[in-house]
Amino acid sequence: MTTTQKTDFLVYDRAVGMTVMEGKGFYYPVDTIAGKDDRLYVINRSKEETVRGIRVTMCDLDGGYYGNFGTYGFGGGQLVWPACGAVDSRGRFFVSDERLHRISAFDPAGNYLFHWGRAGSDEGELDTPSGIAFDGEDNIYVADAYNNRVQKFTAEGEFVLVIGADGPGAVSLPWGLATDGQDNIYVADFGNDCIKKFSATGEFLAQFGEFGRGDGQFTKPASVAVDRDGYIYVADWGNERVQVLDPNGGFVTKVRGEGTISDWAANFLSINREEAAARATANLEMDIDFAIDDPHEESSHIEKYFWCPSSIRLDSRGYLYVTETNRHRIQVYRRG
Amino acid sequence: MLDNNIELIAHLLRRAGFGANRQELANYQSIGYEATVEELLYPREEQRLSEYLIRRFHPELSGMMGPLASGENWLYRMATTNAPLREKMTLFWHGIFATGYNKVIHGKALSDQTRMFRMHATGSFRTLLLELSRDPAMIIWLDNQDNHKDAINENYGRELLELFSMGAGNYSEQDIKECARAFTGWTIANREYMELRSQRDSDWPYGRISWHYEFHPDDHDEGEKEFLGERGNFNGEDIIDIICRQPATARFISRHLYSFFVADEPPVPEWPYTPPADQEAIDTLTQAYFDHDYNIGEMLRVLFNSDFFKADEARYRKVKSPVELVAGVLRLTGEFDRPRYEILERFSQASYMGQILNNPPSVEGWHTGTDWLNSGTLVERINFASKQIGDATKPGIGSMVERIATEMKESSSPDMLVDACLEEVGALSVDEDTRRVLVDFSARGSRGADRQHIADLLQMVGATQEFQRA
Repeated sequence: MTTTQKTDFLVYDRAVGMTVMEGKGFYYPVDTIAGKDDRLYVINRSKEETVRGIRVTMCDLDGGYYGNFGTYGFGGGQLVWPACGAVDSRGRFFVSDERLHRISAFDPAGNYLFHWGRAGSDEGELDTPSGIAFDGEDNIYVADAYNNRVQKFTAEGEFVLVIGADGPGAVSLPWGLATDGQDNIYVADFGNDCIKKFSATGEFLAQFGEFGRGDGQFTKPASVAVDRDGYIYVADWGNERVQVLDPNGGFVTKVRGEGTISDWAANFLSINREEAAARATANLEMDIDFAIDDPHEESSHIEKYFWCPSSIRLDSRGYLYVTETNRHRIQVYRRG
Repeated sequence: MLDNNIELIAHLLRRAGFGANRQELANYQSIGYEATVEELLYPREEQRLSEYLIRRFHPELSGMMGPLASGENWLYRMATTNAPLREKMTLFWHGIFATGYNKVIHGKALSDQTRMFRMHATGSFRTLLLELSRDPAMIIWLDNQDNHKDAINENYGRELLELFSMGAGNYSEQDIKECARAFTGWTIANREYMELRSQRDSDWPYGRISWHYEFHPDDHDEGEKEFLGERGNFNGEDIIDIICRQPATARFISRHLYSFFVADEPPVPEWPYTPPADQEAIDTLTQAYFDHDYNIGEMLRVLFNSDFFKADEARYRKVKSPVELVAGVLRLTGEFDRPRYEILERFSQASYMGQILNNPPSVEGWHTGTDWLNSGTLVERINFASKQIGDATKPGIGSMVERIATEMKESSSPDMLVDACLEEVGALSVDEDTRRVLVDFSARGSRGADRQHIADLLQMVGATQEFQRA
């Protein structure tokens, strides 16, 4: 594995979004999916203290805002612990729910269609479904987190296959999933601090990385994406960074985040001038002696850094969306 | 000889931790009382629910934009740690250096303060006071960011002496002023922006930004000061050195430790007028303070191994604080072996009983002992404890019920079933009145392995006065 960093591989493009409990903005966003015409669906987890804030925000890369759908609740089309999303070939939007142990489907405009999923540990049952991803035939893979496996279903919820339940490819608390052009499956193996690759039939193919903070190492990876050339992008969540691997798993580059003021944030600051003036006097990138050695702590102080990058996704144009849960923002990158 | 009296060890775990179930007690019993004290003081490896898991499933317990998150995060620790004394001491310091969200309006800053208490909980009192004086949440809580070279703000200086170290009657008003002068220039970075965001409860545009300490030498009073009879060009660190040398400080901390771990003392404002219940115990702890260079852990070792702590009459004399009660129940139920949506509801129960972590009623902290109890809070306490402990769907309770059911036979008497239940929840001793009620209830059910009856009896145990006490 090479450790020479290709520093111009990823180029920062812009930030999207800002913190808003309701309406135009994000509130603890956990995933961003590019749907039909690259419309973005941003899943807002919110917090247990309030029933407000839980929603899916529809927007685009240029700051366009198209409203929200989904509210807190246990009924059809409602969400409690929304986790990850995916869009099928028809543009339908699917979202997993880690509290309700189910997958809900909406049409491209956000109208509720149906949901499926039953809590449990038997085949076809779910315990805390996290990452989801479609293959080229509209089968859906589900990271069945607390059952420590990935399951494959039809889009309507018919069980197909179990992956990664045991053997050398066994996964632990899997989080994000991705598929590539050959319908291979990539798993962000949170519990084992690595990325695992499986074939469409569930055969374990490869493991990338191991626990650590060095190049090509991971700490609690959250999400993975694969581009047309086979490059693998990882939200290295516990290290508060993004890493890129080549198709063989060789280290390519890493970025720590360079968030700037988004259009929505600029609008907020233009209206709230007292806060903008105070912000202008602040140094938000200062050197600090930290009490503990933890990138999470560093990110909590340095606003431009990723803070809890829970999701990494590509759109059809190759833009890379890094959803930062604790900064309520998406940092957008593209290939250099 | 190995002292492995299980009731004594259970007493220790109720005070130095949040109680222990039968299996945990058996483990401690195998090493004996003194070794258990050492294990509590210096845990070999702290295991608990991973912070990564909490952050993954509860983003708010990581980003901390609201008033409850820092406390919820802490409750997870209390409910799952195998280093319970560390959390208990963290709670002890929070009760003394009481800092509240209602003014700080920054959950992460409060969580950072909790982490600081945890790191220094059983170390040098001098180090702790120094870290406290540099703690951003404390700086904002007591306005030290407004303590300037040419216009002092006495708030922190006053409370440092009155509530945090020596107690009223041991210093003069002039000492407070000199103390405040020594802490001028101790502030937080980006003060203007951070203070404004706090005042506005602003999460915008990108969530909270952590605070950190900053010293401004140009705003620090470099002049000579006279403090507690000593003269010099003192800064805050020098002031803390002087404070730590005072016998009044040793007595103050000793009395706090006694009140928290042995028997309730009156509220701090009454201390100048009310002598300690056990002056000899305070003297013993005071001596330990000086013998061990202000080391709190060494004071605790003396305390836990003392006769005044081990005495029969010391047991069940303390009323558990709401957080102690809730954390203890959650440790028994084992419900939070993984992150669960319900943590907020469990955390909220402590607030219904009168205690919200990281939001005490004032800088004086909470009034403890029987002040926790009134007709409303007592009902909340009993309902919570009995409901949780009687719920066999919870993994910890289910295991207890199974163990008891396995041991009980048709020939087992109602007394035996009561004993088995009391043993499972932590070798609980009850008085005769309580026992009579429990045995009556026990006799009403079927003999042997009736799991529902066992769960119902456990529910009754959760409602006893002994379970509400430590």
